[in-house]
Amino acid sequence: MTDLPRTDLPPDSGPMIVANGLTKWFGSVVAVSDVSFSIGPGVTALLGPNGAGKSTVMRMLSGLTPPSKGTLEILGGNPRKDVSLTRYIGLVPQQDGLFDQLTAAEFVGLAATLHQLDDVAGALSSALALVHLDPADARPLRTYSKGMKQRVKIAQALVHDPDVVFLDEPLTGLDPRQRLHMIDLFARLGARGKCVVVSSHVLEEVERFGSRVLVIVQGRLAAEGDFRAIRDLMDERPHRIGLRSNDVRSLCTGLLDGGAIVGVQLMGNDRAIVDTAEVAAFRREVASVAQRRGVSLLEVRPLDDDLESVFKYLVGR
Amino acid sequence: MKQFRALYLTQIRVQATRSRLASLAALGAAGMFVAYILGRRVSTVNAAAEFVGLFGLAVLVPVTALVVASAGFGDTVDDGTLVYLWMRPVRRSVLAAAVVLAAISITVPLTVLPVTLIPLMMRAPSSIIAPSFLASLLGLATYCCVFTALGLRSKRALMWGLLYVFIWEGFVAQAGGNAARLAVRAYTQSIISNSAGVTFELAQIDSPWSFVVPLVVMAVSFGYTVRRLGRHDVP
Repeated sequence: MTDLPRTDLPPDSGPMIVANGLTKWFGSVVAVSDVSFSIGPGVTALLGPNGAGKSTVMRMLSGLTPPSKGTLEILGGNPRKDVSLTRYIGLVPQQDGLFDQLTAAEFVGLAATLHQLDDVAGALSSALALVHLDPADARPLRTYSKGMKQRVKIAQALVHDPDVVFLDEPLTGLDPRQRLHMIDLFARLGARGKCVVVSSHVLEEVERFGSRVLVIVQGRLAAEGDFRAIRDLMDERPHRIGLRSNDVRSLCTGLLDGGAIVGVQLMGNDRAIVDTAEVAAFRREVASVAQRRGVSLLEVRPLDDDLESVFKYLVGR
Repeated sequence: MKQFRALYLTQIRVQATRSRLASLAALGAAGMFVAYILGRRVSTVNAAAEFVGLFGLAVLVPVTALVVASAGFGDTVDDGTLVYLWMRPVRRSVLAAAVVLAAISITVPLTVLPVTLIPLMMRAPSSIIAPSFLASLLGLATYCCVFTALGLRSKRALMWGLLYVFIWEGFVAQAGGNAARLAVRAYTQSIISNSAGVTFELAQIDSPWSFVVPLVVMAVSFGYTVRRLGRHDVP
């Protein structure tokens, strides 16, 4: 096995991960299609709805499954072919299974031993302390809560101080305090020059990482860049809103005249679905139009504010 | 060496569950009890060799090896824990060796010990003890290698393993010829047969080959496991 040099790189160093045309299919189902990106030091979030292909991308990145097509380089090597590369990679997989008979210290200690660390006891204590777990806890892992197991998974991924860390939905099951702690921990790792790739389907979570984002939708790379730019893009998309009023026809006429909506679909006497290009302007207008026309506004309900719609818009642009 | 030790000890703890050990120990104990009862009627070398061959080598050894060895990688694939062994800078051969050796270590007291004790329970002459020990140990190691590979290859390893033990070795191989040569049992029973002069229905394999072929099967199975680990889609 070849030993690679340690890479305590500054955050502005070159890419540590280079993916080119990554494609993965299972039989006739294409899970990931022609995805290309490069990732350098710092925190990068892989964002997408459930079933978008994030985990498949994560699994390819960590070498657990080979791409059907395309190339992948992690620290200049192929993690699937070069076993020694795993020395520099930490992975928090999505599945919950652990060796339930072991204690947290034994489980993390096993990882440290397999990574051939000199001070196994010191390394496992530090890793467990990072995630606020007690190395002296003698309870087997099967007695741990989902959140505690999640923290053990994070500890085993960090015990060998890897240069590249893949975290597949790492905040699942954690309480709000622990979420904040983990987000801070990932940010600190990124600031130290580690390449941290976090997958999530929760927009707010990714916003807190304050990081670069790769948006995966239906197996394709839908957007890439700074989170704020993508958030703005999401806010600017056309929105569909459900209205209920005692005179919905009059209300919609007023909104159309004022330019607050661009389309109307009447659904009976008291309901309508309207399309607006600018949500903020619509919100300002709708109440004043209702007041001017003397109609009662009974309900205003966004119909496409769910993540799926946001992602669909991004992929359809 | 530290890596191997850590993997081996972890596998022992993960594979040797109480329910698994209890049920398999009960099977061995039942065999010894039956041997004791039989021994009160007849206590010849032939009777002991027949019981070792037809129960110990045909049922106890393969079934115990199947249950434990197929779980070695099989359980880790099922519950997704293989990733915690695979994503480490450990040679695949070291990982495979630890899993196979752990399976053999767990199953030796559950199989080789009862099979070796069967002649004593039957109060048969001691000349049959050494062949029983050798045949069961060789058979156990062979089955463990084969079923470890099967556990990594198939999610239905237990079903395929039982089909192999009871349908192939139990019926198809009895037809003799080449089918019998694909039955591990033919080689282990031949060791007993060559020593005790008892004839089993499976083909008679001459002395050097009854040892050599199982060793080759072990090597091939182990090589397959190592290769499969390198190419496996890790869940």
